Amino acid sequence: MIGRKGKVLTAIVTGILAVSITGCGTAAPNSAQASGQKANSGPVSLTEAGSTFVQPLLTRQVAKYQEENPNVKISVQGGGSGFGIAQLQKQLLDFGASDAFMSDADLAKAQGGTILELPIALGSVTISYNVPGLPQHIKISPDTLADIYLGKISNWNDPKLAKDNPGVKFPNLAIVPVHRAEGSGTTSIFTHYLASVSPEWASKVGKGISVNWPNPTGKVIGEKGNPGVAGAVKNTTGAIGYIELAYALENNIPYAYMHNKAGKWVLPSLEGAAADAAAFTIPEDMRVNIVNAPGDAAYPISGFSWALVYQKQTDKAKGEALVNFLKWDFTKGQSLAPSLQYVPLPDNLTKREIDMLKTITYNGQPLLK
Amino acid sequence: MYTKRNLLNALMMGVFSLAAVIAVVPLFAVLGYVLKNGLTSLNLAFFTELPGMMGVGGGMANAIIGTLIVVALASVMGIPIGILAAIYLSEYDRRSWFSTLVRFTSDVLTGIPSIIVGIVVYAAIVVRTKHFSAFSGGVALAVIMIPSVIRATEEMLRLVPHTIREAGDALGIPKWRTILSIVLPTAAKGILTGALLAVARISGETAPLLFTALGNLYYAHSLNEPIATLPLNIYFYAISPYDQWHKQAWAGALVLVFIVIVLNVVARLAFRTRMGKN
Repeated sequence: MIGRKGKVLTAIVTGILAVSITGCGTAAPNSAQASGQKANSGPVSLTEAGSTFVQPLLTRQVAKYQEENPNVKISVQGGGSGFGIAQLQKQLLDFGASDAFMSDADLAKAQGGTILELPIALGSVTISYNVPGLPQHIKISPDTLADIYLGKISNWNDPKLAKDNPGVKFPNLAIVPVHRAEGSGTTSIFTHYLASVSPEWASKVGKGISVNWPNPTGKVIGEKGNPGVAGAVKNTTGAIGYIELAYALENNIPYAYMHNKAGKWVLPSLEGAAADAAAFTIPEDMRVNIVNAPGDAAYPISGFSWALVYQKQTDKAKGEALVNFLKWDFTKGQSLAPSLQYVPLPDNLTKREIDMLKTITYNGQPLLK
Repeated sequence: MYTKRNLLNALMMGVFSLAAVIAVVPLFAVLGYVLKNGLTSLNLAFFTELPGMMGVGGGMANAIIGTLIVVALASVMGIPIGILAAIYLSEYDRRSWFSTLVRFTSDVLTGIPSIIVGIVVYAAIVVRTKHFSAFSGGVALAVIMIPSVIRATEEMLRLVPHTIREAGDALGIPKWRTILSIVLPTAAKGILTGALLAVARISGETAPLLFTALGNLYYAHSLNEPIATLPLNIYFYAISPYDQWHKQAWAGALVLVFIVIVLNVVARLAFRTRMGKN
């Protein structure tokens, strides 16, 4: 019974044991520190996570940057702004991205000291829908939008929708409101907008990266990330959802005109978001909400996405790679923005951001040369 | 009377056969669906290229290698620990309060949702080492596979007749030698099959990798870096709105299923000859 084969099998088993014993000992070498001490000519890997609002643009920017700088690999992971903030607070990322700026309480929880918040993109949130037979762009008034997400309007044939869209025939179809399941900067922009136009929303639901979504109709669904909401809207008949403009454009998902503060119906666009940003003074710490801006061209649901970076870097090579990439991103990298309908950051803003980059240090020495 | 029995027999046979068919239908449906959608989406670029920009082409070369690395890492940790623990439970301590506790804990661990293992490993390793890593992903998967390896191994060892161990004792062989040279080889086929099934199971785990391996757009250069894996890529690609990513998700699913099937077939082929001899 225990022949040669048996011995072979025993050898396999003991072999696995032996490998594992040595393996366990060497499995976690501290190569992160080792690479940190290398000269900056070596390859550097940076990990980013957070905003999915900026992800379509950021993945293109890092791909372009890598062509010019083959040694710097920046892995963009998404996960939602809330995820990005939480992981950066615990110092698990080289930088984060969020479309909601961090509150003072959030900043106080950061374990690595001061976090700088640097606008990295400016874009619009569309109200996208999937209703057979409707035109590519219907009109949705602020009240109607709030009522849909409050559950007070539950069918596409509601007279309030018909009133704003004369000539459009709405089907008898239940509305499926889609929201983000996880902490999201896009949710923050969207709920800030709803709170600014609907006192009922402001008092009942409020605003922030995650809120308690009303669900009186039982139809509301939560999805992960801008891609998840866009996917759900695309694949669910009757769905409505809020997604960054690039997702709607790249996937041919219809989106609505919004009624802005000046009383004009506007589609999300580069010009609309630019008008929003221009209507506000951006404070020294860059933390500003720009929803529901005044002005005829303003599209009311727009916002910045911020790169979140520790002012004191703990790894010289990574810190250098990071500030150099961000400087490129704020300047040359912005040329990629318009093709995806993000607004290139205005020059006076990027100048201020580069000044902020100069305050990022390793061992007390500024990293940006 | 006789015909009534025959009729009942035929009826019950029909019920059993139907149940057997129903049991394999989902398997073939899954395989067929994955094959149909996956094959049309597979191309050379899928195996050789890195993922491109969001929603655009590219491949999953890094995720295929990443899955192999993380699963190998988990196996190298989980299989030996599981087998050694089972040897302890079966050969050295069958009935004490401690072995009962170990068995109970291991059974409970089998039923714990894998996302919880992921979160625990996140808190225990990722947060402390200050980076997401292939290593932490491997640990999470190892924790998930250990209980099933213990179970399978212990059951196999218990099947080894006691008389064989006594034969060893009669020859004056030390106990460790009896276990290593007699008991383990006798049960080896079952143990390795159990281990490979555990490996196949963790190959498709997604949840425990969310907060540990994280994902990577490039190849990971060390076990201390975040790493891309097929299940995570399939998940994120499948929920996205991009048609191109849906195709890639199907291709990824096909490759993952292929890896699992190869593992299963290898397990069976490697030990079939031995089974024939017995």
